[in-house]
Amino acid sequence: MKAAKGEFFLQGNEACVEGAIGSGIRFFAGYPITPSTEIAEGLAQRLRGTNGVFLQMEDEIACISAIIGASWGGVKSMTATSGPGFSLMQEAIGYAAMSETPIVIVNVMRGGPSTGQPTRASQGDVMQTKYGSHGDYQVIAFAPASVQEMFDLTVESFNYAEKYRVPAFLLSDAEVGHMRGLLSVPENLKIVDRKEKGIKRADEAYDVPDDLVHPFPTFGKGHKAMITGMTHAEDSRIEPEDVRTHQELVKRLSDKILKNRKDINKWELVSPGSKTMIISYGSSALGPKEVAAKDERVGLLRLKSLWPLPEEPIYEVASQCERILVCEMNLGMMYWPIKRVALEAGCKKVELLSKIGGEPPTPSEVRHKLRGMGAI
Amino acid sequence: MDIFDFYRKDRWPHVFCPGCGNGTVMNCFYRAFSALNLPLDRTAFVGGIGCSSRIPLYISSDALHTTHGRAIAFATGLKLSKPDLKVVVFTGDGDLGAIGGNHFINGCRRNVDMTVICINNNIYGMTGGQASITTPHDFQSTTTPYGNREYPFDLAELAVAAGANYVARWTTRHVHELTKSMKTALQKKGFAFVEVISQCPVNFGRRNKMADPTQMLEWFKESSVRREKVRTAAVDHFDLNMAGQITVGEFVDRNRECYEELIGVEKHG
Amino acid sequence: MKPVIDLRLCKGCNVCVYICPKKCYSRGAGISELGYYAAVVSAAEKCYNHKREGKLICELCVLSCPDQAISWHPETEEDLKK
Repeated sequence: MKAAKGEFFLQGNEACVEGAIGSGIRFFAGYPITPSTEIAEGLAQRLRGTNGVFLQMEDEIACISAIIGASWGGVKSMTATSGPGFSLMQEAIGYAAMSETPIVIVNVMRGGPSTGQPTRASQGDVMQTKYGSHGDYQVIAFAPASVQEMFDLTVESFNYAEKYRVPAFLLSDAEVGHMRGLLSVPENLKIVDRKEKGIKRADEAYDVPDDLVHPFPTFGKGHKAMITGMTHAEDSRIEPEDVRTHQELVKRLSDKILKNRKDINKWELVSPGSKTMIISYGSSALGPKEVAAKDERVGLLRLKSLWPLPEEPIYEVASQCERILVCEMNLGMMYWPIKRVALEAGCKKVELLSKIGGEPPTPSEVRHKLRGMGAI
Repeated sequence: MDIFDFYRKDRWPHVFCPGCGNGTVMNCFYRAFSALNLPLDRTAFVGGIGCSSRIPLYISSDALHTTHGRAIAFATGLKLSKPDLKVVVFTGDGDLGAIGGNHFINGCRRNVDMTVICINNNIYGMTGGQASITTPHDFQSTTTPYGNREYPFDLAELAVAAGANYVARWTTRHVHELTKSMKTALQKKGFAFVEVISQCPVNFGRRNKMADPTQMLEWFKESSVRREKVRTAAVDHFDLNMAGQITVGEFVDRNRECYEELIGVEKHG
Repeated sequence: MKPVIDLRLCKGCNVCVYICPKKCYSRGAGISELGYYAAVVSAAEKCYNHKREGKLICELCVLSCPDQAISWHPETEEDLKK
């Protein structure tokens, strides 16, 4: 099963399907939910007659459970959902983080809370992605802003999930998911596969590797792997009452992402060094991008990855500019961590343009806000 | 295969209370598994959360100890991604019938090739004895101090109605029959379900005048009735234990096409 | 063959005492290393498998023991005299 090469005119969700196929997806479990359904429909078609499995489960909890199970069978697995389904998945996301299972979760965000606006875009799940499950954990999340990025960042999600044995998220939204645009599929995709545990060296798992990621003991290969969401030692002994084991485990799970932040983070800079910088991501960066392209007084930092927080580029931008406008489709979520980094960098004026209701902020709304800030 | 080649001896004595039925089920499962000469390295064991769901962690093979209630969903993904792997699920009444009820009935319906062993002790043992979906009517628990007002689920009949290929129910008093049913279940292609009514003397028996495990085993012996001897009209099947009766035996043994065959995953797995 | 109780595993639940149809077991009087009143094999010569080799019958105690504490061992000459 291979992704078709060349140029296509596709919907964002369809590009995500192609990205998954290109990454070598072998297992998809889904449940219908607007606006992510096209991904399930696409993969039902594309996985038919191949060595991959498409499964429509009874609910979203079953979907994510099934893809975690499939991942332990040694294949790349993914699910796609939106707000309400994403909320249902939270417990298993914590499980995947604790058991270090590589999985990809696509969340085509819609307006919440609750059923909210099924057909309209929002960016209200960015905090839930990182903080939705109980306990301390770190994940990797990407935010595409175009059809091409739906493809590229799906591939990256798979690559980073496999590399760091962590749940990776593609935080799209109804706007990007249903947007149609050009997709060009490169001849050679860079694909990363998980580091599998060797059978001969039983001791291998016990030493902590430099990147803090243990080799993956695929089921059915005689590893006698014990995979659990309980606090466990490096040799997978269950130690739910041991203070030190818990500290070491949870610290390592966080560190393996935070210490590799430079490897993971991705962003785009438009006119760096401007006195006014807009920081945005996903479809809410489209309006600011147009403003920044036409007005030399305004620059844009568009975050392509949201978690772990790209602190370095934000710090650099904040230390060089006078004011920052954070632009997002919620009442201020990424605003707070961005503001924290900006204040550390010495930028005192950090404002928020939030727009909810399903439409990304338009260029004129961004300009209006900038005028209010005295930027233009 | 010796019993401690099958189980991880370094973890013994296990976590279960004195007199717990889980150990009995482990003996029977070991007997059935070793009698069939199945390869242990090609078998994965999946459990949810609860006392019985801890069993996979004692078996010397790949074990997936999952979230509460989702063991069957995890097992479905594992089995379909690696069809040559044998998948066995250990679960309990709360894990399977309450929080995981949806996955259970859909697992039966989908008929993915796996063996599910449900150790039904009629109580939430690990959390200290709260009423479960199989606590018999009028029996006591910490959350039903004046007797259980609700009526219990009949998990075996539920599995039959939902479409499982093999369904049997025994108690821990029927060790030989249980071993035989486990053998059949392990060989069955499709969803095979074995329910074991088991004793929890500490959290169920103690509150219901059966604090000694032997009293509970005696209760099982007295109240068990073979399914073929039960006149259907006389029994409300959904009221397990309500009339002081536990229906035991093989409930169904059929060969519906399993999910792997239906989607053709075996050809290229 | 004769049944032997492993005192490092027995938790003293007395299921064997109850289940044995030939009353081979009895309740223990002393506290074992694990801290339980472990059951004792008091009349192994009554067991169905006394002087039996190869395929064993009954085995209710071995199958029922929740702690995997009972196992079959070959009988010594002294045992066989009983």
